Amino acid sequence: SKWKESLVERTLSRQNISLMQHVYGKPSSFSATPMNRNQDGGDGEESDGDEFFKPKGEGNKKSREGLDGTNFNSEDCSKFTNYGELKDWKEEEVYESIRNHFVTGDWSK
Amino acid sequence: MAKINYRRLKGSQNFRLRLLLATLSSTPVIIEDIRADDTLPGLRPHEISLLRLLEKVSDDCLIEINETGTKFKYKPGIVMGGRNLLHDCGISRSIGYFLEPLIVLGLFAKKPLSIRLKGITNDSKDPSVDTFRSTTLPMLKQFGVPSEGLDLKIESRGSPPLGGGEIVLSVPIVQSLTAVNWIDEGMVKRIRGVSFSTRVSVQFENAMIYAARGIFNRLLPDVHIFTDHKAGPQAGNSPGYGISLVAETTSGCFISADTTVSYARRDGIDLEDEEKNELMPPAEVGVQIASVLLQEIEQGGVVDSTHQGLLFLLCALCPQDVSKVRVGKLSPYGEETLRQIRDFLGVKFVIKPDTSTRTVMLKCVGSGLKNLSKKSS
Repeated sequence: SKWKESLVERTLSRQNISLMQHVYGKPSSFSATPMNRNQDGGDGEESDGDEFFKPKGEGNKKSREGLDGTNFNSEDCSKFTNYGELKDWKEEEVYESIRNHFVTGDWSK
Repeated sequence: MAKINYRRLKGSQNFRLRLLLATLSSTPVIIEDIRADDTLPGLRPHEISLLRLLEKVSDDCLIEINETGTKFKYKPGIVMGGRNLLHDCGISRSIGYFLEPLIVLGLFAKKPLSIRLKGITNDSKDPSVDTFRSTTLPMLKQFGVPSEGLDLKIESRGSPPLGGGEIVLSVPIVQSLTAVNWIDEGMVKRIRGVSFSTRVSVQFENAMIYAARGIFNRLLPDVHIFTDHKAGPQAGNSPGYGISLVAETTSGCFISADTTVSYARRDGIDLEDEEKNELMPPAEVGVQIASVLLQEIEQGGVVDSTHQGLLFLLCALCPQDVSKVRVGKLSPYGEETLRQIRDFLGVKFVIKPDTSTRTVMLKCVGSGLKNLSKKSS
């Protein structure tokens, strides 16, 4: 129906922004700092005591998470296969679901 | 002499992309904090090997590494290319790791590149040399790279951990790439593949192929997987087996998947390796890789997830025309590539999800990189 169309359009445009933001980060006007500040604040309260010496590894883990959410020294690898999420392609429902990606599929579309 | 303005970067992430883009855009870089807090700090053997390879193919470049290897300076020179070069890639990463930046660099060299690379030809982490032959090289042709002089010969194979394989890569030079409007992934019309085995029985290959075919048979009759059994000196130093599959579509796209099974490295660097001492049986490998390929096909897009990075890179290196491409779900490496492209070339993509097919459309205007060393006549 008609009222749905504008909704769909709005979600689409919103998704569009979010995908660009996801890749390139948010525009500087509303940056992600408040989130990080909260995390840092939480840390500060805990470490006020006699935790004078901090293991170096732990201290860094937190600051690194803030860095675009990606690991700083993450592995340089173009291959990305999630073997854990493999479907069972022997099942008829599963393989029939991609039939139209093949020439044996329905050409009418 | 004018002071060189170095761009300062941190960490070992996107090492290859950074070096490649620094070279293509002639941006001197300093990378600091490379695994500074690791038990094994600094650059890894494959990263140093890649720096040496850059030195080998270019003239007048400057590389300085500090004592611990946690910081280095790189001033790119002119990429020369040249014939009969030789490079030992070592055994900490496979040859695929080096091929990915090298093919792009080769296109923008002064002379056509022909280089013999030694090391591991197939492993589970990087795209195998078979995938390069079947998928990566045809992909370059979409961007106007001539097919003469574009070749990869596998002379001998090497599985991890000890390698011992050898390949010869030839890359022609281009004056510039041509922008693409590549959004139709078409329908899969045939599936091809190569299985290989080194220092094990050919039966391993037959079992993998049989299992993989079993998955495809219900979808497509045109499936051929060839065997490439290596023995003697051509089989390298370690036992292993694996398979590389490619689905070719009606619109000339190639979607690939590959894997290799071998014993894990024991040098202490790759401790997090998922492979245990027990190797996965070949029949399971066949089913698994066939499933991975079907999953890649299901995603849609004109390239598979592994090739997204290269696709974006080639689009960004085009002349100042609009390129439009379609991919499935953005892969982490693809996203990283987009960010690095923005940082080094100043090219930003317009990224739009296509909800009806659950794919992603990307558009960009190329950076207008020209190979100045090639005469236009």
